[in-house]
Amino acid sequence: MINRRKFLKAGFLSSVIFISSGCELFSVTTPKETLAILQNDLFPHSKKMGTDVKKYMQIVLKHSKVSDADKKFIKNGIKWLNEEAVLLFDSTYVKLPSDKRQEVLKSISKVKWGRSFIYDNLTYIMEANFSDPIYGVADGQGWKWLDFNTGLPQPKKAYL
Amino acid sequence: MIYDVCIIGSGAGGSPIAYELSNAGFNVVVLEKGKYYKEEDFSKDELAVSRRDKFIPDLKDEKHIINEIDEKGDITRFDGHEYSWSFWNGSMVGGSSNLMSGYFHRLKPNDFKLKSVYGEIEGANVEDWPISYEEMEPFYEKVERVVGVSGNLTKHKFLEPRSTSQFPYVKLEENHVTKWFDKACEELNYESFATPRAVLPMDALKRNGCSYSNFCGSYACATGAKGSARAALLQKCNAKIIPEAFVYKLSSDDSKVNSAYYYDSDKKSHTVKAKIFVLAAQAIESSRLLLNSSNKHFPNGLANSNKQVGKNLIFSAGGSGEGRFDFKNLDKKQQNELMQTGLFFNRSLQNDYEFEKDGKRYKGGTTDFLFEHQNLISRVAREFYDDNGDIIWGDALRDKIHKSLTTSRRLSFEVFNDWLPTDKCFVSVDDKERDKYGVNVGVINLYGHPHDLEVGEHLAQKAVNILKEMGADDIDYSISSSPPPNLVAGGCRFGDDPKTSVLDKNCKTHDLDNLYVTDASFMPTGGSVPYTWTIYANSFRVAEIIKKELS
Repeated sequence: MINRRKFLKAGFLSSVIFISSGCELFSVTTPKETLAILQNDLFPHSKKMGTDVKKYMQIVLKHSKVSDADKKFIKNGIKWLNEEAVLLFDSTYVKLPSDKRQEVLKSISKVKWGRSFIYDNLTYIMEANFSDPIYGVADGQGWKWLDFNTGLPQPKKAYL
Repeated sequence: MIYDVCIIGSGAGGSPIAYELSNAGFNVVVLEKGKYYKEEDFSKDELAVSRRDKFIPDLKDEKHIINEIDEKGDITRFDGHEYSWSFWNGSMVGGSSNLMSGYFHRLKPNDFKLKSVYGEIEGANVEDWPISYEEMEPFYEKVERVVGVSGNLTKHKFLEPRSTSQFPYVKLEENHVTKWFDKACEELNYESFATPRAVLPMDALKRNGCSYSNFCGSYACATGAKGSARAALLQKCNAKIIPEAFVYKLSSDDSKVNSAYYYDSDKKSHTVKAKIFVLAAQAIESSRLLLNSSNKHFPNGLANSNKQVGKNLIFSAGGSGEGRFDFKNLDKKQQNELMQTGLFFNRSLQNDYEFEKDGKRYKGGTTDFLFEHQNLISRVAREFYDDNGDIIWGDALRDKIHKSLTTSRRLSFEVFNDWLPTDKCFVSVDDKERDKYGVNVGVINLYGHPHDLEVGEHLAQKAVNILKEMGADDIDYSISSSPPPNLVAGGCRFGDDPKTSVLDKNCKTHDLDNLYVTDASFMPTGGSVPYTWTIYANSFRVAEIIKKELS
């Protein structure tokens, strides 16, 4: 049985998001499920660089300096992204094939919340890709890709 | 125990006093709200320092209320937490001087007498300083030696008078692109010079020299080369430093402060008694503490019998701009020069520190040039939009990031000109909102005088001319009334008239015999340069005065 502490730790990424179609409940998803697919759609190059974006999201969404408002926006964005997918293709985002998911992204990029949602996700993805190896999510391949020499000294421990 | 001196705040305004007085044998205690980090604690971790703001308080715990006042007088209220609008700088021993870039310029003699030289400006409270440049000069020189300023003095038409002919430390190593810059200035007949920096180029003053690690501004220095108040002064004296001590109140009788009260990290209250109190908590917070310390003798707030505390808050006006140098316009040698990292791009322009336009004489300012900050994540994030301003992702984004970051580099500039003091720009305290300690938060009432924009625009145009002459593409700039939170001054201006100033010429409050304010609060006008050198110099000046008083 999952204990209370583990449940709270897992909290945000495993929380249930209800997806509506009109006034009716259509389906449910979790931030974890949608973000894994969405963030790969937004920047598949992360995988080629060996970055563990999923692990980074677990770190950053528990960070004391990431505000509740930021987390709420991520959660709302996931709900609205899926509802846009339902509206366009009668399916949740995660269950759509890749080309249809791109169409959903194009559609939300035309509205303000959608642009902000994509921007925030890209920012987290880039934080993961170009983070110091001390965080355990990237090993410097991103730095190499951009011929980047990091500043010294590098951190001895992660700031969590 | 009664200390000789109790200093509230350990940044550039407080530390010279701690250094001078404790080295003279006096018993000094420094109360600092932030933690005590040392060289070994610092790294170039972009996530920690620049993305998660390791060295500033969490806005949900400590915030400001910001009232933005437009030209019509309409006020828009912002909750700093709700809008992620932070006015904190470096909450740590040594304060924001740990994180400064260390661009060090002195004020010019005319900056001390702006009203007399350039006249009054409608809607602004411009005043001459009660001291002259000549009185401050020995202390500017002292900062060069004690804190450590490096540079290469070259004559130009607005070079201020100096008691020494050269900086004590040679200039830092420079990127080769400075040669392109110098050539462009020569063509345009502009006088530029190597920016003096509070960074040691070699081991000196029992500190290590610069390691040219490619990151400087916004990051604390791991070698000790940067002349932070901590590395240069506090670690070189035996003043007692109490970190994580948030001073929430000063108590007084009708003529003297007798105690400072602070909360430790467990929110346990402590009391410190001293003969002399020096307040240097940064301009906004110093005014806030005085306003929050009202008592029966000073019902409007401490040292505020004339209701001047918090008034005439100023920032550095101006803005910033940039141009991009692209491989496609450069030969192989130039491409290599452009991409050299670690070396500094230290160039400044004071060609228009004063200028004439349409027959009118204007006070101008300074423009500093530097490469775009090396922070990788923020540089990558700038590529999220295409040329039409649409957000992009996937392979298109990947290709744009790679091309931009590996085949081009941006040269930036920052414009510094006077933010005119006005009745509409001031610090007050919110009646209801409280911070994590239960203390009323500061309110920053913001207003930028239109004159500031006019001057900033003029200076930016000159910088644009240089970038054009150098062959840069995508040149852009923004001059605005947006206040830089790290360049804040005023609120407790010094002056000879107790009706219109909080402090006398010695930075002692008119109301209380043993209370000094030595952060940037004292400045009636800010000059057109970053403030730190002047804050340091003034604090060394006041240290001499306090030393005499205690002796």
